[in-house]
Amino acid sequence: MVILAILLPVLFGLLLLLGLPRGLGLLGAGLTFLLNLYLFLAHPGGVAYGVQAPLLPGLGVYWAFGLDGLSALFFLTVSLTVLLGALLARVEGRFLGLALLMEGMLLGLFAARDLLVFYLFFEAALIPALLMLLFYGGAERVRALYTFLLFTLAGSLPMLAAILAVKALGGSPSFLLEDLLAHPVKGSAAFWVFLGFALAFAVKTPLFPVHAWLPLFHRENHPSGLADALGTLYKVGVFAFFRFALPLAPEGFAEVQGLLLFLAALSALYGAWVAFSAPDFKTLLAYAGVSHMGVAALGVFSGTEEGALGGLFLLAASGVYTGALFLLVGRLYERTSTLEIGRYRGLARSAPGLAALFLFLFLAMIGLPGLAGFPGELLTLLGAYQASPWLAALAFLSVIAAAAYALTPFQKAFWEEGGKEVADLKGEEWAFAGLSALALLALGLFPGFFLEGLEPLAEALARALGGGA
Amino acid sequence: MTLLVLALFAVALTLLGFFVSASLLKRLTILGLSLGVVALLASWGKPLEVGPYRVDGVSQTFTLLALLGALWTVGLVRSRRFEFHLLVLYAALGMHLLASTKNLILMLVALEALSLPLYALAAWRRGEGLEAALKYFLLGALAAAFFLFGAALHFGATGSLEAGAPGAGPLYALALGLLLVGLGFKVALAPFHFWTPDVYQGSPTPVVLFMATGVKAAAFAALLRIATPGPSEALALLVALSVLLGNLAALVQKEAKRLLAYSSIAHAGYMALALYTNNAQALGFYLLTYVLATGLAFAVLSEVSPDRVPLERLKGLFHKDPFLGLALFLSALSLLGLPPLAGFWGKYLVFSEAAKAGQWGLLVLALLTSAASAYYYLALALAPFQKGEAEAAPRPLARNVALLVGLLLLLLGLFPGTVLPALAAGGQ
Repeated sequence: MVILAILLPVLFGLLLLLGLPRGLGLLGAGLTFLLNLYLFLAHPGGVAYGVQAPLLPGLGVYWAFGLDGLSALFFLTVSLTVLLGALLARVEGRFLGLALLMEGMLLGLFAARDLLVFYLFFEAALIPALLMLLFYGGAERVRALYTFLLFTLAGSLPMLAAILAVKALGGSPSFLLEDLLAHPVKGSAAFWVFLGFALAFAVKTPLFPVHAWLPLFHRENHPSGLADALGTLYKVGVFAFFRFALPLAPEGFAEVQGLLLFLAALSALYGAWVAFSAPDFKTLLAYAGVSHMGVAALGVFSGTEEGALGGLFLLAASGVYTGALFLLVGRLYERTSTLEIGRYRGLARSAPGLAALFLFLFLAMIGLPGLAGFPGELLTLLGAYQASPWLAALAFLSVIAAAAYALTPFQKAFWEEGGKEVADLKGEEWAFAGLSALALLALGLFPGFFLEGLEPLAEALARALGGGA
Repeated sequence: MTLLVLALFAVALTLLGFFVSASLLKRLTILGLSLGVVALLASWGKPLEVGPYRVDGVSQTFTLLALLGALWTVGLVRSRRFEFHLLVLYAALGMHLLASTKNLILMLVALEALSLPLYALAAWRRGEGLEAALKYFLLGALAAAFFLFGAALHFGATGSLEAGAPGAGPLYALALGLLLVGLGFKVALAPFHFWTPDVYQGSPTPVVLFMATGVKAAAFAALLRIATPGPSEALALLVALSVLLGNLAALVQKEAKRLLAYSSIAHAGYMALALYTNNAQALGFYLLTYVLATGLAFAVLSEVSPDRVPLERLKGLFHKDPFLGLALFLSALSLLGLPPLAGFWGKYLVFSEAAKAGQWGLLVLALLTSAASAYYYLALALAPFQKGEAEAAPRPLARNVALLVGLLLLLLGLFPGTVLPALAAGGQ
C-alpha cells in the first residue's frame, strides 16, 4: 500500500511528462489524496504496511518503507497540498507532471525506513524542483538554482559521511532504521556524526545562517505558486532531525542542544522581522516560512514530548496553509500581473470572496485558535518553555509579530482606498477554498485526532533523550 | 578467448585495411570488439591461466570496461582513415593484457602495447595535436622507465616478479612507490597529472574519451594487483592531492574538455579510495558509471564540435536538440554523484570502502571536494539550458546512443543491485 501511494504520483507524473493531457494530473493528485486519506484513517498504529526488499545485497541497503503515525500525517498533508495545487495552478501538463514526481519523492522520503534510501529520496527530490525552476523560472533562475544547489549539496555530503559513520562506528549490520537504533554511536564520534546530519537538515529546515538560498528560490520560481507550494513541503529538516539525527546520535545532540535552540529561536524572530518589511507576498510567505520552521525546530530541539508533538504538527499544518497561500498569491498575480503589495489596494471591494479566503488562510497562519496553526504553536510553547524559558519567550515574540506582518499587508492590499477591479472567486477556486478551509478547520478543531499517531513517537524520543534539557 | 579474438582481428584487419574502404573497416573493428565482449561474457567467472597470462575476475571486469570505451570511441569517430580504428583495436588488446597478468614484465609490455597506439592517436590532428602527443609521449616514456625501475627493485627486494609478492624493508617500499608512479601517470593521479589537460585539449574528442575510460580501466586493474600488500601513506598522499588539485583546477575552467580533464584527475583520486580495501567490486562499479557518464559527456561534446568546446558554445543546446542537452545534463549530474543517477552509487561504494578502512580524514576531504565540484558540474549541466546559439549537427545514431546511455545511467542508479552481483562474480 505504501509502495502504491509512492508510485501512483510518480506514474501519473511520468505520463504527464510524456505529454498526456493536464486533466490526468488532477486525477492522479486526487487518487493519491484519497489513497492517503484512507491510509491515514485506517492506520492501525505502529509501523504499518512495511515493505522490505534488498537494494544492494550484501551491503545492508534495503528498499524499506513503512507507515507510522508521523509518515501517515505527512502523507496526508503533502497529497492535500499537491491536490490543491493541481486544482488551482494554471500551468501546463508537464509542469504538473514534475510536481507529481516531486510528490512521489517526498512521500518516499517520509516513508523511508532505511537511512540510505532516505538519503536517496532526499536528494532525488531535488531534481524535479531543479527542473521546474530551470524550465519555468524567472530571469535570474540560473543564479537561484546555483545558490539553492550549492547550499543543499554542501549540506548533504557531510550527511553522507555521517550516514557511513553511523553504520561503521555503531556496528550495525544494515542501514535499516531499527538496526541503527539498536546500535547508536557513542562517545566523541557521536558529536561529529550529529554535526554531519545537522548541517544537511539545517539547510532544509531552514535555520538562520543557512537559509540564504530560500528568498531567491521563491522569487525566481513560476508565478503560479505551484513550485513554491512544493518548496514549502520540501522543508523537511525538522522531520529529519526528529526521525534520524536526534535518535541516532543522542549524545552528539546533547552537546549542541543549546546552540540549536538558540539558532531556532533566532530564525523565528529573524524570519518574522524580514517578513514584516517584505515588499511582495511571495517574499513575505517565504520568510514567514523561515519563522514558522524556527518555531517548529524549537519544539523538536526542546527534547520534550510536547515540544516534539507541537513542532511536527506545526510542520504538517504549515505545509497546508503556506502552500495554499502561495497558490492563491499565484492567482492574485494572474489577476493583477504584480506581486507587489503596494500596488494592490482596495481589492476587497470588487472581490470580497477572494479577500475572505485570503483572510481565512492568513488567520490560520498566524495561529488563531480553532484553526490549523494554533495547536502546534501552543504545544511547542509548552515544550520549549521546559527546555529554556528565555528562548521560548523570545521565539514567541515571533508569533505575536506574525499578526503584524500578515494583517498589515492584508489591510493595505484589500481595504485601503483606490485600486482596480479584479474578478472574484469562481469555478475551481471555490472548490479550492472549500477544500482548504475544511482541512484547516479539521486540523484546528480536532488536533487530537491528528496527534494521536505522533504521541508514541514523540514520547519515545523524549525518553531516549532523557526527558528534556 | 578474448585475447585470441582481439589479436586475430587486429592482424587480419591490418592486412585488410589496404583493400577495403575505411567505413567497412570501421564496421569490422566494431564487430571484432563486440566479439571480444561476447567472448568475455561467455567465459564470465571462469578463470584461465596460461603462463603469466591469467584471466580472473579482475581481468574480466576491467577488460569489459576497457572494451566498452573502445567500442564507443570507434563508434563516435568520423575519421576517413582506417588506421584510426586499427590503433584503437591494438590499444584494446594491450589493455586486456595489462588487466590479465600479475607478472611485472608482462605488465610493462602491455603498458607499452596500449600506450604506443595512443601516442599516435593523440597526434591525429596535426598542429596543436602534435605538441600534445609529444608531451604525452615523453612523459609516458618516463613513466615506463619508472615502472621498469620499480619492477627491477621489486625483483631485488622479493626475488619475484609477481605483483603482490610479500616483502619488507625500504627497498621494497621504494619499488612499490616507483610502480605506483608509473601507473599513476596512466590514470592521471596528482602529482603525475600535468599532461592531462593539454593532451585532453589537443587530442580529438573520441581519443580523449578513450584515454579517459579505457586507459583508466586497464591501469586501475594493474593498480589493484600492485596495491595488494596494503595501502601506504604514499597512496593517501596521491588521493589527497588528486581530489584537491583536480577539483580546484576544474573550478576555473571555461572550456569543457579541459574541465573534464581536471575532473578526471579528481575521479582518479576517488577511485583510488577503493584501493584501500582492495575491493574490485566497488572500483569496477565506479569505473562503469564513470565510463558511461564521461563517455556520454564527450559524445555530446564531439557532436557540438570536434575541436575545442568553450562552455559558451554549449548555451542553447537544449533548444537546438533536447536529447543532447538532456544527455549532457544527466551525465554531468551523474559525474557529480547526485542520486538517483548511477554515479551516486559509484561514489557511495568507494566512500564506504574508505570508511571500512577507517580513513576518515581522506573520506571527509573527498566529500568536501566533491561538494565543491558541484560548482563546475552544474556549469556544465546547466549550460545547454541557458540562452545562446549552440550549433550541433547530431547524427541520428549518436542521438539514440546518447539517449540510451542516459537512460542506463538512470536505471543503474535505481537498481544498482542488478549489476553488482555480476561484478562480484567477476570481481574476486
